Amino acid sequence: MNSSSSSRGRTWQSTTTVSSSGKRIQKEMSELNLDPPPHSSAGPKGDNLYHWVATLIAPSGTPYQGGIFFLDITFPIDYPFRPPKVVFKTRIYHCNVDSGGNIGLDILKDSWSPALTISKVLLALRSIFTNPDPYKPLVPGIAHLYLEDKAKHNELAAEWTRRFAR
Amino acid sequence: MEEERMSVLSPGFRSVAEMAGWDEETLLVASLVVEDTPDRLIKHKRRTHLNFKTPPPENSTRKRRLHRRSPVTLLHLDVVDQTPKKGSEKKKKQVENSPASCNKQEDSAAIPCMDKLREELSCAICLEICFEPSTTPCGHSFCKKCLRSAADKCGKRCPKCRQLISNGRSCTVNTVLWNTIQLLFPKEVEARKLSGTVDSQESKNQRLATRNRHQSVCPLNDDLETELESSARRRSNQNLRNRGVQPSGILTRRANEDVRNRVRRREHLAVQDEDAALALRLQREEFMEAFRPSDEQPPPAPQQQRNSSTHLARANLRAIASRAMNIRVRGRQN
Repeated sequence: MNSSSSSRGRTWQSTTTVSSSGKRIQKEMSELNLDPPPHSSAGPKGDNLYHWVATLIAPSGTPYQGGIFFLDITFPIDYPFRPPKVVFKTRIYHCNVDSGGNIGLDILKDSWSPALTISKVLLALRSIFTNPDPYKPLVPGIAHLYLEDKAKHNELAAEWTRRFAR
Repeated sequence: MEEERMSVLSPGFRSVAEMAGWDEETLLVASLVVEDTPDRLIKHKRRTHLNFKTPPPENSTRKRRLHRRSPVTLLHLDVVDQTPKKGSEKKKKQVENSPASCNKQEDSAAIPCMDKLREELSCAICLEICFEPSTTPCGHSFCKKCLRSAADKCGKRCPKCRQLISNGRSCTVNTVLWNTIQLLFPKEVEARKLSGTVDSQESKNQRLATRNRHQSVCPLNDDLETELESSARRRSNQNLRNRGVQPSGILTRRANEDVRNRVRRREHLAVQDEDAALALRLQREEFMEAFRPSDEQPPPAPQQQRNSSTHLARANLRAIASRAMNIRVRGRQN
């Protein structure tokens, strides 16, 4: 009964949270439109306010330079009190991003704060291009190579970028 | 004739005439004079006279004043000095209006750093102007409600700087900040207040409704909804068939409205059914209550006490239920 009524937006409990998270997401969207962050963009995929796509242009001076990476962002119903789910849609050779595109970034998990916004998340994601964290890896093999043979790692990362991100 | 004449003169007049020593003849003359000058004409004359002297009275107070002050010259004066007064009043009103509008304009324009202020006084959680801001020990301010939910769902750390907040639940409003915000952004605060009251009222109603709602009502609502859809479809189809034209927006809308009205009526009925069901249930419970002691062994003292307490609780519940019903009915009427 509860699930059926909430799916129709009947129960007040759910609609209030929906409206407050929706308000916040809308606010973020208008702020992103007013003041777009450099080298990245984000916005709703279609009609659903809770499902966004984002693009990141990798910074130059990194093995990922020249690559454009697409991300999928899904907002939870109790956003911003829960982190958004961010996933790489473009394949990337990175020790903090697994083959499914899942990102090992602490602010998207335990260290999430409701004061964070999508533009801040995108900034943090851009920073992992320049500074991978091999000590908390999602793909230990890549982290190992990064620590042992950085040149080889960078070569592979650049190769993957050429192949998948252009 | 004589008597008639005399009757024209009032008895008071006659007595006065007697006292004055008038004889019959002068009295007769006086009555003739009265007859010669019909007072209707006099009245008419006076009225026209008034009409000419004064512009048509607009408001009742002025009319009354006109009637009170019979001397024409005075009236004239009155009119003369009333019109400029009116004008000045209007001017005053204009003057009063203009600074207000100026102030409003100034409010947004006078403080050039309004955008900065808006940013600075926004809550980092809801990204809106802080509503009843609460300040953490580390000095960051959020809406009281936002901070509380953050403490509930994200742990007791400051959302801004991750410092531990000793007790996230006991948030106090930073009055100075709150007053400042209310002064700077009255419109936003008012909007938030309105939505807040609506929210709380609706959620309260909802809570009461869910507490009292009979289980069978939900499927009933489902039925209603499906009925609404299907009958709307049916109707539009009917229209299609009858007219042999595409269902225009107006037609379908009318059909929908019709159905909605019907549904509303039925919803009202559903509420009544609900009430009846609740009443029946309570009655049955009471019945059971009344018959239980005869079925069971005479209960010991503590049990009896418990029974009475449950009875009390039940009575309370009943009172709450009826109150909730009243509230809901009232809400529906509104």
